[in-house]
Amino acid sequence: MTSTAYQTSPIPAAAGIGLRFAHHEIVTATRPAVPWFEVHAENYFGHGKLRHILEAVRRDYPLSLHGVGLSLGSADGLDRLHLERLTALARAIEPGLISEHLSWSRAGGQYLADLLPLPMTEEALDLVCRHVQQAQDALGRAILIENPSTYLQLEHSTLPEWVFLRELAARTGCGILCDVNNIFVSASNHGWDPQQYLAGLPGAAIGEFHLAGHAVRTLEDGSLMRIDDHGAHVAPAVWALYEQALERFGPRPTLIEWDTAIPEFDVLLDEAALAAQRLRARERASHARAA
Amino acid sequence: MPALLEWQRDFARAVLSVEPALVREELGITGDPGARLAIYRNNYLGNLVRALTLNFPAVQRLVGSDFFAAAAQEFISQYPPATARLDDYGQAFGQFLTHFAPAAALRYLPDVARLEWAVSRALHASEAAGLEVSGLAALDEAAMAEVRFVPQPSLTLLRLDTPADAIWRAVLDQDEAAMAAVDLSGGAVHVLIERSQGAVQVRRLTSAAWHLTQRLCAGEPLHAVLASRDELLTGDEINALLADHLAHARFIDIVVPNAEQSA
Repeated sequence: MTSTAYQTSPIPAAAGIGLRFAHHEIVTATRPAVPWFEVHAENYFGHGKLRHILEAVRRDYPLSLHGVGLSLGSADGLDRLHLERLTALARAIEPGLISEHLSWSRAGGQYLADLLPLPMTEEALDLVCRHVQQAQDALGRAILIENPSTYLQLEHSTLPEWVFLRELAARTGCGILCDVNNIFVSASNHGWDPQQYLAGLPGAAIGEFHLAGHAVRTLEDGSLMRIDDHGAHVAPAVWALYEQALERFGPRPTLIEWDTAIPEFDVLLDEAALAAQRLRARERASHARAA
Repeated sequence: MPALLEWQRDFARAVLSVEPALVREELGITGDPGARLAIYRNNYLGNLVRALTLNFPAVQRLVGSDFFAAAAQEFISQYPPATARLDDYGQAFGQFLTHFAPAAALRYLPDVARLEWAVSRALHASEAAGLEVSGLAALDEAAMAEVRFVPQPSLTLLRLDTPADAIWRAVLDQDEAAMAAVDLSGGAVHVLIERSQGAVQVRRLTSAAWHLTQRLCAGEPLHAVLASRDELLTGDEINALLADHLAHARFIDIVVPNAEQSA
């Protein structure tokens, strides 16, 4: 099945790079051949130099805004000021895509600075649907929601995560940002079948893929835990899962993320080239099939 | 199982608490809850330490990354962030360092943190056009006496007990000669931090010029400031200072109380 929902998106179905502060200078000075960039929205809520850099990047490249702090899963309600700031930034930058996470990070007036896991319940689904609708109303467009990496499961969860996402997309019209590394990490941590996860996602809603590296740790109880630290090369098993996702859903904008132990920009270009190879192979395969 | 709101507050307490055993049994976590909650706690601390490192790079270089992380974690537990806008996190870090016993020997450290907070504020502040001199010139004498100035959002005035501005510059430039030349016995310094033409500037002012500027920025009427001005400033010096402020767009608007009432 192929989707037409995002073909008009100015973000191409090519391999982009997550732009971090460490690479501002090289990107603005050398304008490397990267098809598109994605930034964390919260880093540009202020004005001044960072905003000017973002505007300069936006003039030269398609840009995607990726939020990490809206906390769509907070039972406290959406932070209106945060949504206003995101809306103002989106108005100024006119990004090709806007995305957020299936998670929460605010409770009792405190910001918990991480993407925390939600119980997969009907109550949480209703809440996230309301908040996604609120965000989409404010932004005047559909957003993409990303599946998180999680490190624990909850006894009171009643829905598989992919069913939760499928329902969310069906009820709100939002798209899905399919983070392939996160599927691999969560599936490994909880004993899920990543194939079943992919098969459970609605193909037409997939608007973007994320790829990143992760770390592996052994917990005190002896269990193996994969941690989504965005601090390494994409793991071979994640590349394999990405190929399967491409096979299933077709080419989509694909992002390389690297947030800790950030390497030289060339390393990111090489990593993006590996994703681009796979995107091209998938294009060729579908042309061959159509011919 | 409690409703989502209560569950999230309990979960938050378990992530924030050093001894999460108190609440974690209620959360319904399968497997070993302690080890799994610790991952979220590590992520929480790691993300916030990284945000503070971005906002306080000179403090971090002065004390080294291990010491900085320890100080930052203690700060995070006392002053957790309220919003996801982390370039706006750490306002109280300077004040916190004043009472942080392991840093007591580094008398200048809280001042460097206060300066870096002002620098960070200047970096991210919204932009406003400077006050047009013609707007001032159009005021009659009575209005001129009552006029108050609205300062640029990027502007901060700091009185520092130590030459933290020289230390800040030397450590970020990795200029060992400048660092060696810092004289900690020189007494307080008065600095003005602003963003001017896109770049953050840190300038020293004389004590008299700083106090006069401080009063204007606090919204005191011009005539009151001039009437009780520091005798160390001559009329020419005041004119030059005000001209410099206007030339650097340090004021963005004027408020004339009577004019507002009659309008």
